[in-house]
Amino acid sequence: MMRQIISIFLFLICFYANAQQYLAKDGTITFFSKAPVEDISAINNKVSAVYDAKTKALVFQLNITDFIFPKSLMQTHFNENYLESDIYPKSTFVGKVTENKNGKAKVKGELTIHGVTNEIITEGKLQIINDNVIISSEFVVKLKEYKIKIPRIVMYNIAEEIEVKVNIEFKKQ
Amino acid sequence: MNKIIVILIMCQSLFTKAQDNLLSMLVSEDKPIYISSTFKGKKVVNGQSVEVLSKGVLQFQIQHRFGTLNSGFYNLFGLDNSQIRLGFDYGIKDWMSVGIGRSSELKTIDASAKIRLKRQSKGSKEFPFTIATNSAIFIKQYRWSETNEEAFEMSNQLSFSHQLLIARKINRDLSVQLSPTLVHYNLVNYAEKNDRISLGFGARQKLTNRISVNAEYFMQINGKINNDVLSFGFDIETGGHVFQLHLSNSPAMIESSFIHETKGDWEQGDIYFGFNISRVFTIKENK
Repeated sequence: MMRQIISIFLFLICFYANAQQYLAKDGTITFFSKAPVEDISAINNKVSAVYDAKTKALVFQLNITDFIFPKSLMQTHFNENYLESDIYPKSTFVGKVTENKNGKAKVKGELTIHGVTNEIITEGKLQIINDNVIISSEFVVKLKEYKIKIPRIVMYNIAEEIEVKVNIEFKKQ
Repeated sequence: MNKIIVILIMCQSLFTKAQDNLLSMLVSEDKPIYISSTFKGKKVVNGQSVEVLSKGVLQFQIQHRFGTLNSGFYNLFGLDNSQIRLGFDYGIKDWMSVGIGRSSELKTIDASAKIRLKRQSKGSKEFPFTIATNSAIFIKQYRWSETNEEAFEMSNQLSFSHQLLIARKINRDLSVQLSPTLVHYNLVNYAEKNDRISLGFGARQKLTNRISVNAEYFMQINGKINNDVLSFGFDIETGGHVFQLHLSNSPAMIESSFIHETKGDWEQGDIYFGFNISRVFTIKENK
């Protein structure tokens, strides 16, 4: 009897420890490339993320193949030629909220795309409304830094700097 | 007591791990991963590949075949003679596309439908092959004056082809395909068979992300009168265009003709140079 009580107690400790964590499964990340010949945009609605209000740790993860492009051929090229999603199927961010004043937050962390990890620092919004946490941010990703090569022939079609927008709504665990 | 300690340690480790690495909480759903881009284009060289167009995509193809390389300088090694096929293909669904085309020399109109039945996948659901079917009808054109002839029958102008396409992407560069094919001719000469079966072999090796070499061979199984067709191709992809350069012992671009009516012989130098240019247009955009 004693054992069971203790184990249940311990179990509850685990839950309690997680109680400050917020989880999201359908966050949105979009990106936008503005180049002389064409503008390219894509959206991913299946970003999963965790935010820990206690430690201020923030992580998110997405599948490269979940990016939807208006043109199917772009999506094929994106996966096949540029992001090589067969080798690098996922992109992740592991970081921390370093500052948070009146909903304006600073985030620092490591962003991994195409198997290459770079440190990024960006600003955004972080709001806690009831049991939900909403974050949004915009930052720029340079393709060169992630070893994504653009051949000369499509140089005017694809921008070297890609604007990324993050919008994630977390729910309390 | 021991058990409690074990549980305690387990909980402890879970607890610390969750702090250290929240990523471990994001165990993504185990979905099957579908293998895409087994081939660059809808065709390996002349024969169909397992690839279908995505929904809402229109592909326009201009195919050229010149004369034989051994026809000498007088013919500029074949460049003086050329025949073309113009073709349109459209993706009705992500797994189904239809097409029409016309070959100049053969004066034949073709219409085809390709359906992808199964996709190669890995992950939670594994399947080793991509399987598709392709069916086509070929109508040899005639003049209205011919229809007045006593022996004229519309059905004599028709032939059909049915193919089962089974392909496997072995690694990210190499893909292979097997295509058992049945061609039916409504009208044949006395010595020829109406139904002819062949087995096609195709392969693609990528050299870079945008350039690949392709090879294709059709082995005639019954009713063989002419040579087997062997072709090599070179695909160059540049954004929305695909350029394909070909060498083949057949100048034809439709199944009913290049599989069973190939007269050329590689050893004799009866090699036809050709190229395709295809351009895709997105008619309906994804939402």
